[in-house]
Amino acid sequence: MKYVGKPIQRIDAYEKVTGFAEYAGDLELPGMLYAKLLLSPYAHARIRSIDISNALKIQGVVTIATGEDFPFRVGLYVNDRYILARKKVRWIGEPVAAVVAEDLETAEEAVELIRVEYDPLPPVLDVRDALKHDAPLVHEELGEYAHSPAFNPIPGTNIANRFVVKKGNIEDGFRKSDVIVENEFFMPQVSHVPMEPHVCIGQYLKDGSIKLWTSAQSPFAIRYILGYSLGIPLHKISVYVPYVGGGFGGKAGINFEPLVALLSKKAGYRPVKLELTREEQFMTAPVRQGFYGKIKTGVTRDGRIMAKKIFYAFDAGAYADYGVNIGRAAGYSCTGPYYVPNLEGESLTVYTNHPWGTAFRGFGHFEFLWAIERQMEIVAAEIGMDPVEFRLKNALLPGLTTATGEKLREDAGRVDQCIRAVAEKIGWGTPPVKISSSKVRAKGIAALWKAPAMPPNAASAAIIKLNEDGTILLSVGVTEIGQGTVTALAQIVAEELSVPVEKIKVVPFRHTDLTPYSWQTVASRNLFMEGRAVIRAARDAKEQILDIASQVLRTPKDDLVIEDEKVYVKGRPEWSIYLKDLAAGYVYPDGNTIGGPIIGRGYYVGSRLTYLDPETGQGYPALKWTFGAQAVEIELDEETGEVKILKIVSAFDVGKAVNPLLVEGQIIGGGVQSLSLGMWEEYRYDENGKMLNPNLTDYKIARAGDIPEEYEIVVIENPQKDGPYGARGVAELAMLSVPPAVANAIFHATGININNLPLTFENIWRALNKGE
Amino acid sequence: MLPKLEYSSPKTLEELFEVLEKYQEKAKILAGGTDLLVSLRDRVEKARHLVDIKKIKELDRLEYRKGEGLIIGATVTLRRILESQLIREKYPVLWEAVKTIGDVILKNRATLVGNICNASPAADSAPALLVLEANVRIVSKEGSREVPIDKFFTGVKKTILRSGEVVKEVVVPEPPSNSFGRYLKMMRVWSEDLAIVGVAGLGYREGRELRVRLAYSSVAPTPLRIREAEEAFTRDGTMEERIERAVQVASQRVSPISDVRGSAEYRLNLVKVLTRRLLKQMVEVV
Amino acid sequence: MEKKKITFKINGVEKTVEVAPNKTLLWLIREELKLKGTKKACERGDCGLCTVLLNGEPVKSCLVLAVEVDGSEIVTVEGLSRDGELTELQKAFIEHGALQCGFCTPAFLIVGHWLINRNPRPSKEEVVEALNGLLCRCTGYRPIIEAILSVSKAKK
Ligand SMILES: Cc1cc2nc3c(=O)[nH]c(=O)nc-3n(C[C@H](O)[C@H](O)[C@H](O)COP(=O)(O)OP(=O)(O)OC[C@H]3O[C@@H](n4cnc5c(N)ncnc54)[C@H](O)[C@@H]3O)c2cc1C
Repeated sequence: MKYVGKPIQRIDAYEKVTGFAEYAGDLELPGMLYAKLLLSPYAHARIRSIDISNALKIQGVVTIATGEDFPFRVGLYVNDRYILARKKVRWIGEPVAAVVAEDLETAEEAVELIRVEYDPLPPVLDVRDALKHDAPLVHEELGEYAHSPAFNPIPGTNIANRFVVKKGNIEDGFRKSDVIVENEFFMPQVSHVPMEPHVCIGQYLKDGSIKLWTSAQSPFAIRYILGYSLGIPLHKISVYVPYVGGGFGGKAGINFEPLVALLSKKAGYRPVKLELTREEQFMTAPVRQGFYGKIKTGVTRDGRIMAKKIFYAFDAGAYADYGVNIGRAAGYSCTGPYYVPNLEGESLTVYTNHPWGTAFRGFGHFEFLWAIERQMEIVAAEIGMDPVEFRLKNALLPGLTTATGEKLREDAGRVDQCIRAVAEKIGWGTPPVKISSSKVRAKGIAALWKAPAMPPNAASAAIIKLNEDGTILLSVGVTEIGQGTVTALAQIVAEELSVPVEKIKVVPFRHTDLTPYSWQTVASRNLFMEGRAVIRAARDAKEQILDIASQVLRTPKDDLVIEDEKVYVKGRPEWSIYLKDLAAGYVYPDGNTIGGPIIGRGYYVGSRLTYLDPETGQGYPALKWTFGAQAVEIELDEETGEVKILKIVSAFDVGKAVNPLLVEGQIIGGGVQSLSLGMWEEYRYDENGKMLNPNLTDYKIARAGDIPEEYEIVVIENPQKDGPYGARGVAELAMLSVPPAVANAIFHATGININNLPLTFENIWRALNKGE
Repeated sequence: MLPKLEYSSPKTLEELFEVLEKYQEKAKILAGGTDLLVSLRDRVEKARHLVDIKKIKELDRLEYRKGEGLIIGATVTLRRILESQLIREKYPVLWEAVKTIGDVILKNRATLVGNICNASPAADSAPALLVLEANVRIVSKEGSREVPIDKFFTGVKKTILRSGEVVKEVVVPEPPSNSFGRYLKMMRVWSEDLAIVGVAGLGYREGRELRVRLAYSSVAPTPLRIREAEEAFTRDGTMEERIERAVQVASQRVSPISDVRGSAEYRLNLVKVLTRRLLKQMVEVV
Repeated sequence: MEKKKITFKINGVEKTVEVAPNKTLLWLIREELKLKGTKKACERGDCGLCTVLLNGEPVKSCLVLAVEVDGSEIVTVEGLSRDGELTELQKAFIEHGALQCGFCTPAFLIVGHWLINRNPRPSKEEVVEALNGLLCRCTGYRPIIEAILSVSKAKK
């Protein structure tokens, strides 16, 4: 292959290194106004009154909106969220009012003058408390919310979704086990920290149509929800998305877009821009849900997992419109990449008065793999088996069934190969080494898996247009959030149509009026799904090209080849015609013309995916499973709790690396993000639920000096036959399971189990000194 | 955004005094601005007239005078301090402390005098200046005074500076001959952070006796020198015993709080661990 | 609040503007001069994405007042390459995959150029130290470090 499999440079690189790449925050529109939000200071309270009169008096204030102005609920899977809080506030940071002014400074000034009276209610600030019978209800009206049929909210409780999975006979499984081990695990809420905070501009036009310019991952989802919630036909809504300065799932759902659109209407149809500050990004933009897990594992002495009872509770925060799918995804993947014959799993999405959760790269999996991969280590130690051997013995291999009863396809990825690869590269099998009176070095391993968490009907599409000079325009709905999918897609077009990548442009923005549909840019689904759609579009274009070429060259289609920007007759390269001469219709010397502009189109949806049985969770949720493993070597200072990561080794079965440079970029970037989240990141709250560290001074994320000294990558390529050139997704997978690998290494170094994240130096120190 | 502000940039000390007199409490000195602009944006700082001192030539002094010591003017950036080979060799504890402040870019603006005038308990340069027994030269319309650095801090973000007064420079005397200095800083990450706890130590010989000076950041309302710990180290016993005694005394004298950067308990542990490590190095090197 | 008239050079071009004293250099660059390559992402000196060269030295432009740059010279990412020809470092960023979403890229390029100009052969530690003031959430930093080192090696 000429283009697929090559480390081709990103097609968006030139714009990005020169500073000309366009992001939503860079846009300015004629007559544009600026919005500023007033945020709730209470985690749970009734709004008694809002007085905007003083704020309105400030010169330059155009309008001020409160929740009562916009009686619409929005939400991706569950319609549980008002545009601005109405009647009640549910977390510290929930937008209560919005000022629109001629400039930002005026808007900021006016916001300070809004007076709100609240009647505080008791908040629920722990996911376990939220499940108690007498817990205050975060959503009294849960029963009234419209929701997608895949979900199961329980009115009268804080449970936004309950997912259950049952397989085999759990009692029997535990009876046949020699050893039963039970543990609890915890993970706090964290932020995506996209370098570009949320920003969007909205304009409501007098004819009832809406225009949006936004930093969002999924323009079509926004269009759909907005249309549904406001009752506006979709052709009257257009959503424009330029480059996105980091998404990681935080921009996957619908966020502030409805607000700016409605503010524009209230402000006399002028465009309104809302740009969050970093503090607001922490306080009012959605976060990753917190997690609590309890796992009971039954094993035989020789290391066979016989049964697992699993309970996951996700701290969804105040709203769960996207969040319900996280608990669901964690539920159907709940075993991790292991074969478990007898299983009972329950995964709850639970409302609390914390900031609201949404998708975050690898969602559900980053969380439960922390629990599963720690538990694997603990169980292995309990039966005195090497943890690598224990994992290999229970590895989920082709032919075995998953939690939902899906028989793993024969061309599925191989977790055993990933585990073996990282074990070998990290030098598994050597004992911890004491290097000074307080410092010890040790190794740890963890495995992982994930499938795209998406509904069965998630679709992708592509359009390929041949330009008059033979260059090509590819248009797809996947947004460029940094992951680089569009570069890989350009390579696929190049391969299919035998045109150099430099002659292919992928339209750099998304505009729902012009761009073909894509369900969402999430879930590591886009190379696979857009990839398949692009192949089909290319083949469609090819058919059209060959139809005309066949007439021009007076040769049947099946005797023609497209290569190097030409169509020629097999075995007779001199009988040829350039693609460019066919692009807009072929013109004979006398002016007669045949054919017309070549526009190829293709779509893709997953085959035979199903909803899951509400009672047993059985069914087919997964387009593809990607498997992987991580290994780390750490240096631990037992006196201070400091952990230094000396090395990470990551292995993934990607099926086919369409672009090895991009694959490596995802793996290293994801690995460092995973490390950062596992070691340092955490929403810290006071007793009232107020975030104590809403800035990058005290919410620490990894910097250049925090990354491992060595990073080794193993790319395994067992192709999946229905993937584009055999490829599977890897972007999210890259950030799974580094934290359990680190904690497992700490366990090997000290014999101490740490089951709560983050692994801050202080938390490690605390764990090591618990006995004293 | 920043609140509405006024700005002036006097070129001489005389002009500066005039501005300060005119605006009184409303005025605030602007050096590198790396503390001030953040606290203005957070609306923590209430002053609304910024007096930029970077155009005042007299404040730009970075000079070593044999006998008198090192003079660091109010507008001398941390970058310039780090680039001084002399400071690196003669005042390693100061050099090390300055190196840990923020990052390379920040150090192009941030000043040493700003670091101490901001009077954060976490000011990294303060413990170093404390063990070096630096003096702060303060000037005002009324004249000038010189204050030992351990009298300079009066509380969290509070100093002895009165309205109208400005720190002109810091004078760091000649350190004891053959002294050895180090600053150990514990952070939440490896790369860049404010101190959870910082410890500066200076070791030197008085005759044959090993003497040490110890000072801390982030363990009390102000940066803190703990002379009792220094004395505890001085008394008899094996080195091990002396070190442990100093560690014990130091850990009794600190009063750390719990905040997002660390709990009081953890800080206390770090005081012990870092003090012990520092003293061991002193014993080995000096 | 009285506006002040300031004159400065930006990317080689002299400008005179009137600006209020509470506006930062970052604001001046993005909102007044409309140079959008310099990014705003925290406004308190933590992320470093607003870093530009001020009189040849990198500064976080959110922590500099616009009125302070009177008489100064500023270089932003738009001023790094002239006439569309990329610098060696810009090319190295592309070759090493040192960018993903691209939002932090301008700042890393500014600091990278500065570093290599004053220290043509920095060690890995020096590169890391210089980059510690900047945040990136996509790349894991490693490709950026490698890109900078590759240019410094090429420069004999
Ligand atoms: C990202 C970041 C990281 C940081 N990391 C650290 C760190 O690791 N360690 C640390 O200690 N600090 C840190 N700081 C804080 C700050 O950078 C330092 O304290 C710096 O040295 C302050 O110097 P400046 O010149 O910027 O002070 P400015 O902000 O200009 O002034 C600080 C205060 O001192 C007053 N002041 C300044 N000069 C005088 C004078 N001559 N006379 C009277 N008053 C004066 C000002 O009015 C103001 O109140 C960090 C800051 C940021 C933004």
